[in-house]
Amino acid sequence: MRPLTEDESRAVFEKLANYIGKNLIHLIDRPDGAYCFRLQKDRVYYVSEESMRLSISVARPNLVSLGTCFGKFSKSGKFKLHITALDYISKYAKYKVWIKPNGEMPFLYGNHVLKAHLGRITEDTPEHQGVVVYSMSDMPLGFGVTARATVDTRKLDPTSIIIFHQADVGEYLRDEDTLF
Amino acid sequence: MDVSGIIASNAAKYKSITVEKETPLVVDTGLLLVSDHNPIDEDSYNENLEEHLQNLARDGVQELFASLFALPTQTSEDGPLAQLPPPTTPMPRAKPLPKPKPPTKWEQFAAAKGIQHRKRDKREWDEERQEWVNRWGRDGKNKQLEEQWITEVPLHADVDHDPRKVARDERKARVAKNQKQQEANLARGSQGGRKQEIERTMATTRISTASMGKFDKKLDGEKKVRGVKRKFDPTEKPMEEEKSASLALLSRMGSDAKKTRREPAPEENVVNVRKAVRFASKGRGGIALGAASARGRGRGGRGGGRGGRGGKR
Repeated sequence: MRPLTEDESRAVFEKLANYIGKNLIHLIDRPDGAYCFRLQKDRVYYVSEESMRLSISVARPNLVSLGTCFGKFSKSGKFKLHITALDYISKYAKYKVWIKPNGEMPFLYGNHVLKAHLGRITEDTPEHQGVVVYSMSDMPLGFGVTARATVDTRKLDPTSIIIFHQADVGEYLRDEDTLF
Repeated sequence: MDVSGIIASNAAKYKSITVEKETPLVVDTGLLLVSDHNPIDEDSYNENLEEHLQNLARDGVQELFASLFALPTQTSEDGPLAQLPPPTTPMPRAKPLPKPKPPTKWEQFAAAKGIQHRKRDKREWDEERQEWVNRWGRDGKNKQLEEQWITEVPLHADVDHDPRKVARDERKARVAKNQKQQEANLARGSQGGRKQEIERTMATTRISTASMGKFDKKLDGEKKVRGVKRKFDPTEKPMEEEKSASLALLSRMGSDAKKTRREPAPEENVVNVRKAVRFASKGRGGIALGAASARGRGRGGRGGGRGGRGGKR
């Protein structure tokens, strides 16, 4: 376990800022205690100071997980967000998408969101913007990237893709062994 | 109606929630740990091992849960949460103890001579001023000689003898000497020192050939050059420091975005100032141009006069 280097923090922050924008400050500067990012076996964890200090006494090969896993670094140094970060991302999300009940299952199986399944979307969402996907009952289901800006979606046909899938809560079952 | 039979059968079905053992179980609720110090009952162990182990485990878990439910609780979104007390069982640390600092040269000397370490107070009693003053630092006693308003000059001193400067130089020399000794101590403490320096030079020279040392003749017992290991921040740092570093990085990332947007518009710089200066000064730069123009202004009158004379002719 170690703190992130500057390049790594930059990669993590850029990815997070894609979803929550300036609200990223609220993750770093929290009123309810100190939280930090830690790297352990290529995975980035968001941990409270207390549990970080406790886990220092665990040797690196024995430490399985700590805090909340936000994602992992690929071998080429890119950062990939995991679904486990959804709790924090949905809390501070800037752009949101609600999908109809008949579109929930296809999304939870890892498919992109089609226009037919789109319930609501935040006004003036730009293209290629990170968005959090909610069910119609305001339950966060995952997150993705918009394929088109909100304005352009009007003239698309119902089978075209609106949101590119990035992560969904179905991964808790599908990728159980590699997720945390 | 006699219900004692029903009660008895019920009691047989459900085990007692109190666990009674010869030696009571030791429960460390903070670690969720129960240890059973009773000797193993050999009969039941040999008779049915699985059942024996299950009974043992059941008793332990029962005791643990009893202690958990006795704890004060706190309501939360996910239901009540028990507040665990601090653990009582000491755990060994995973990492080795930090190595002691290598002794300084003075410490070695003092140990050899049996000199006891006496910590000197930072403050010192000033007889004249009748108060405690700093030995060094702000208004320190070591600066008394160079700060007093009148100083004796020795007989037959040079004309330019400055007692303040002499005192100051002496003090600065003492500081420099101490610094040097400190560095020497550090160098002696770290592995290698001079040896390490030589090795570093060797490694540099080895790769300073046209083929970066690839086709050079290898010496006997020559070791492979190892690169520098990556260094990371310590895992434990003051949280405030880490937070401010992250926030600084965030603001830098924000300002990067601003910088790309704030590129100067091309019509603002119609004249390439650098090129214009180079042209006007004939390649000698802006300073030379400024000096030349200042001189030119001084000579301007004469030049004009000459021009006038030329006109008369």
